[in-house]
Formats: sequence, structure tokens, C-alpha cells
Amino acid sequence: MNGKRIRVALVGNANVGKSVIFNQLTGLHQHIGNWPGKTVEKAEGTLHFKGYTIDVIDLPGIYSLSTFSLEELISREYIVDEKPDIVINVVDASVLERNLFFTLQLIELEAPLIIALNQIDVAERKGIKIDYKRLEEILGVPVVPTIAIRGKGIHELLLKVIESFEKGLRKPSPIKYGSEIEDRIKRLEEALKGVRIRYPPRWVAIKLLEADEEVMREVGEVMPGVLALAENLAKEIEEIHGHPCPTVITSERYEVAGRIAGEVQRVLPPIKPILSDRLDYLATHKVYGYIMMAATVLAIFYAIFSLGDFLSEILTNIFHGIGMGFTALVGSGLLGDIIWGGVVEGIIATINIALPYIIPFYLLLYVLEDSGYLVRIAFLMDALMHKMGLHGKAFIPLMLGYGCNVPACLGCRIMETERERLIAGFVVTLVPCAARSIVILGLVGKHLGIEWALYLYAINLAVVFLLGRVAFKVLPGEPMALIMEMPEYKVPHLKTVIKQTWFRLEEFLRIAFPVIVVSGLAIKIMEIFNLLTPLSGVLSPVTVIWLGLPEITGVLLIFGVLRKELILILLMTLFGSENLHEYLTPLQMFTLSLVVMLYIPCAATIAALVKEFGWKRAAMIAVNEILFAVFIGGLVYRILATLRIL
Amino acid sequence: MEVPLTELKEGETGVITAIKVGFGHGRGFGHGIRKRLADMGLTPGTKITIIRSAPFNGPIEVYVRGYKIAIGRNIAERIFVEVQR
Repeated sequence: MNGKRIRVALVGNANVGKSVIFNQLTGLHQHIGNWPGKTVEKAEGTLHFKGYTIDVIDLPGIYSLSTFSLEELISREYIVDEKPDIVINVVDASVLERNLFFTLQLIELEAPLIIALNQIDVAERKGIKIDYKRLEEILGVPVVPTIAIRGKGIHELLLKVIESFEKGLRKPSPIKYGSEIEDRIKRLEEALKGVRIRYPPRWVAIKLLEADEEVMREVGEVMPGVLALAENLAKEIEEIHGHPCPTVITSERYEVAGRIAGEVQRVLPPIKPILSDRLDYLATHKVYGYIMMAATVLAIFYAIFSLGDFLSEILTNIFHGIGMGFTALVGSGLLGDIIWGGVVEGIIATINIALPYIIPFYLLLYVLEDSGYLVRIAFLMDALMHKMGLHGKAFIPLMLGYGCNVPACLGCRIMETERERLIAGFVVTLVPCAARSIVILGLVGKHLGIEWALYLYAINLAVVFLLGRVAFKVLPGEPMALIMEMPEYKVPHLKTVIKQTWFRLEEFLRIAFPVIVVSGLAIKIMEIFNLLTPLSGVLSPVTVIWLGLPEITGVLLIFGVLRKELILILLMTLFGSENLHEYLTPLQMFTLSLVVMLYIPCAATIAALVKEFGWKRAAMIAVNEILFAVFIGGLVYRILATLRIL
Repeated sequence: MEVPLTELKEGETGVITAIKVGFGHGRGFGHGIRKRLADMGLTPGTKITIIRSAPFNGPIEVYVRGYKIAIGRNIAERIFVEVQR
């Protein structure tokens, strides 16, 4: 029975419970990766049902099939090019109108559609009751009511998938626009006759009127004349309505969606004032909101670091024991050194970061995200984030950056456009992660006093703001605009949260682990062949002359690429003492920490940057940050030395 | 009276008359943002109610087509509405 496969795609708006449905369908048989060459996530899974093997792909949460974001483009290309057997449109019953607006576009794209009418419980609490049979009739699309979070309707949904696959779906009739638009769609369809293009002709005609860049490009390659016609027709529509043609078409589509929603739903006053509203008043208040936010963020970091330190210490002891055993077994020869120092320590380092820090970090993050609180934080921080050339949503990856830059880089995916992602990705790598904080606190905080550590963080913030703005100016594009749905609060679905955490962890290990091991091995080999001291000599014009540091720091900065906290550990090893102030002047400590804070992201972060933005951009970010760190380091060193402050 | 959305007070409702972001056909400046707003249901003729605005000249949160959405102030300034009182 293995031969019978059905390929199913899940599509729908964000915050409709799509990922919960995906998890309910596929359980642990999932694979999460990126779309080839894109910074967009791709989740696939498989299940077996009634003798069928069903492959499910979870397309990104989107509101439209235009080309505003990468996600939208990827979704529609997937539907058109990969031709899934069934497309399940997950619809939020509590926001029917906006969801149907998207459904209507799927019908226009001639997708083989089934609707999962989800969150009917939430809708009922809001006083909305939906006649789903009527909806089915009007749209000509099968509708299955579900409450995914409680597993209700999932079985029925699968039965409907099988039924539709076996019997075939009847083709729903697409919506009709006003006659002045329909006439022009027909004329474009006529003009497009005989043109070989991968999309349905009516859809192409509509998209040309909507000035869809991608469709215009593709049509322009095979029949450039049509573009001029489309532009003229669009102008005519603009003259009739007094609004740009794309807006007119979107408007009419919304009108149809609104009419259908009005026909199938009965809205009664909500049973009780929604708790969400009262919570929202506090969460977005100009005083309480910020207090709540600060308390939440601090509590998270405190919890993670105290728990992390505790777990990390236990793990270190365990590995220390294993290390002794290893040396006893293999001996401390050259081979043993390479294997232990290069490979095994890389494994230990990865486990030591992943287990105590990354797992709790992601768990809490997803709880916050699923609950709906994270968007409230973005709402409060938008004004501030604009000052660094970004918008509110970027606060989330930025905050992650203080923990670890790797998830922060990956977290930049929540930004909509490629440009926003790149600017955010650049900015987050400047944020001092936990490892850099270890150096700052262990060197400057401990020996010069905590106020000097705080100065470093202040300098860092200034740099983040400054370079963010520079990046915003250098990379041309649209103004930064926050346009963000504010979903109702809800209790997070624990199983989905745990699975999301698990897959993130897997991704982290896949990215970080190989680079940590390989670069660790490379440095170990350099050390064994005594290449590090000459290298320090080569770097001495920078370290000694420009930055005023001891020559030995050249080695440290090379090791720091691997893991920044190694810098502090190695300093103590090299000097053979914890009393670093006997070997370094206060000014040297400050300068060194400043450079460590800003120069090159660590190897794992570079790997994450490469994955998200490609080699060229990752290299550009790394080189820029090295040059900038060295420049600022030397500058601050000279200023402080001249003023004799330190 | 046609005013920018940012002129409305909390709880006030208006009908969108114009969205002055991005002009012309195709690749105009701000064209993507205009399209995005329309896709989220902010089209001319739509009723829009102010829920709150974020402190420090932050975004405003509005109620539109049965759901809530936050819009950056730089964009909200360019959405014009007819106030309903």
C-alpha cells in the first residue's frame, strides 16, 4: 500500500493555528529546513492514514498572495509549480472576513482547496457562530470545522483529504469583480492567448492589473506588449474609481469576502468581556506596559542564566571526569591532544551551550510568542527601534542576541522583507551575547568595577543605534513600516511549543556544531605546530601599536572567533593566574573587552549568517565588524590615555 | 472632514478615504507598503476604530474588519479618514 501518496500543503494567515494543525497531523515525523537559497522556513512531515502516505508541507503564514514578502512569493510558487494534490486552507473562524480574503485568492489561483475552519471555540467566545455548510455552498469548497488545539476535527479533516483525493474536487467558481474590471480582465486574457506561462490565465490578467512585479517580469519576457496594455487598462480603472487599480481590486475582493462572511456568520454580543482586552490595557500601558516588559525580559534572562550556570557546572564536572578517563586511555600524545583538544572539546562546548542555555531559552521564547505577548513588546518598542532604522518586530531578535547571537540571527526571519532581515541580522551580531558578557564582566566588571562594564554596554548600545542607521541608509529600499496583527492572547499549546523548541535545537546543533569542531581543530593544530606565536607577531602592529595591548592578545582574538568566553579563560591560563590586574593595565582590560565585544561574530554566528544571507554578505558583516572594532578600540584607547582616565 | 488617522482619539471611528503611501503603477516608492495595508483590509471605505496608541510616538493599534492591527506612526500619518462622530 506504500505506493499511494498524497501531497498536501497547509496554507493560511499567521496566528490561525496552522502550526498546531501541522503538529497534530504529522506528530514527530517532521523535517524543518529552509527553502533553497531563501531565509524562509520550510516544514515538512509525513503521516500514514487509511493506506495512504500523506506528505504535508506547512507553507508560511501569510495574508495575501502578492509579492510583498518572500513568504508570499514562495507560497504561491509552491502551489503553482509543485502542484500539491490538496491545499488545506486553515481559516480562523474568529476573523472570518480577512481569512476569506485570502481564500478567494487561492480560488483564483485554482488551488485544489479544502478549508479547515479552525478556532471555532474562540469565535464562539467572541459571539460568532458560523454556518459552515452554507460557507461550503457559497464557495464551492469543502469546509471542515476544527479546534486544532484540542485535536478536534483533525480526523474528519484527513477523511476529507482522502475523499477529495479519490473523488476529485469540483472547481469552485472564482469571484466576479465589477463589470468595468471584468471587461478589462477579459481583454487582457484575450491578449494573453497562446502565451505559455505557468499560472492560470485569468489570474495572470488580474495580477497584471494589480501590477504584480513577478508576474509583470515573467509576462514581459514572453510578451512585452501586454504590459503596456495592462498599464493603460489599470489607468482607466484608476480614473473610474479615483484610487490606484491594485487598491480597487483588493477592495472589491474584500467586499466579496465581507459579504460572504456576513452571510454565513451570526454575531452576538460576547458572553463576557474578553480577558484579553483587560490584559492588553496593562501590557500596552505607557507605564505598566514597560514595567511588565522589563520584568518579563529580566526574569527570563535571570532564570536562564541561573539555571544555565547550575546545569553547565554539573556538565563541566561530568566532562572533566570523562576527560581524565580519556587521557588515561589514549595518553596525552599528539593524537590524543588533537582528538581531545580539537574534536571532543568542541562537542563539549556545543553541549554546554545547547543544553543549559539554548533549550530553556527557546522554550520560554515560544511560550511568550504563542501566548501573544511578544507582539505587545514589539508594539511598545517600535518607536525606539525606528531610531536604529528598524521597526518594532526587530526588538525580538535583538533581545535574543543578548543570550546568543545564533538564534538571534535565525530570529530575524520574523522581519518581512529581505532588506529588513539583513539590517536586523547585522545589528544583532553587534549585541554582546552571554559569552561576550562573561568577558566584559570577568575582566572589566571584576577588576575595574561594575560601572566600567556598564559604560561598555552603553557604548555598545550607541554603536548598535549608529550602525543600524548607517545600514538603513546604505541599503536602499522602502521606509520601515510596522504593520502587525495583534492576535488575542491565548494559552500556549504545550506540545507545539516543545516541538518548536526541539526543532530549533536541532537546527542550532546543525549550524553550530560543525563549525565549532572544525575551527577548534584548526586552532589546536596551529597551536601544536607553534603557529600561534608567529601569528601574534604578525598581528602586533594592530594589537600592540594601535590598540596598546600585549602581543599575546593576538592569539586570544584568534581563539575568540571560536568562542568568545575562551578569551577570558585563556588569559588566566596564559598568565597562570586569576589576578589579571597584575598583568594588564586597567586601560588594556577596557580596550580588550571593547574589541572583544564588537569584533567579528563567533564562528557559529558566522555560520548562521551564511545560512541566512549567503557567504558574501556574511563575510562583509564579519570584515566590517573587525575593522570597526579595531578602529573604535584604538580610538577609545587614545582618548582614555590622553585624558588619563584609566 | 478628512484627517490623518493619527488625529483620531482612542475609541473614535473613521472611514478610510485615501491612503497616501506609494503612487502610480508598479514599482513606486512605498508601493509595497500600500499593497500590504490593502491586503490587511485597510482599503478606502473601510471602517477603522482607534484602540490605543503606543507611548513615545509609537505605532497605533486599530480595530478593522473584526481584528486588531498595529500600524507604525510613519504609515498611519498617511492614512486619511472621514471621522464619524
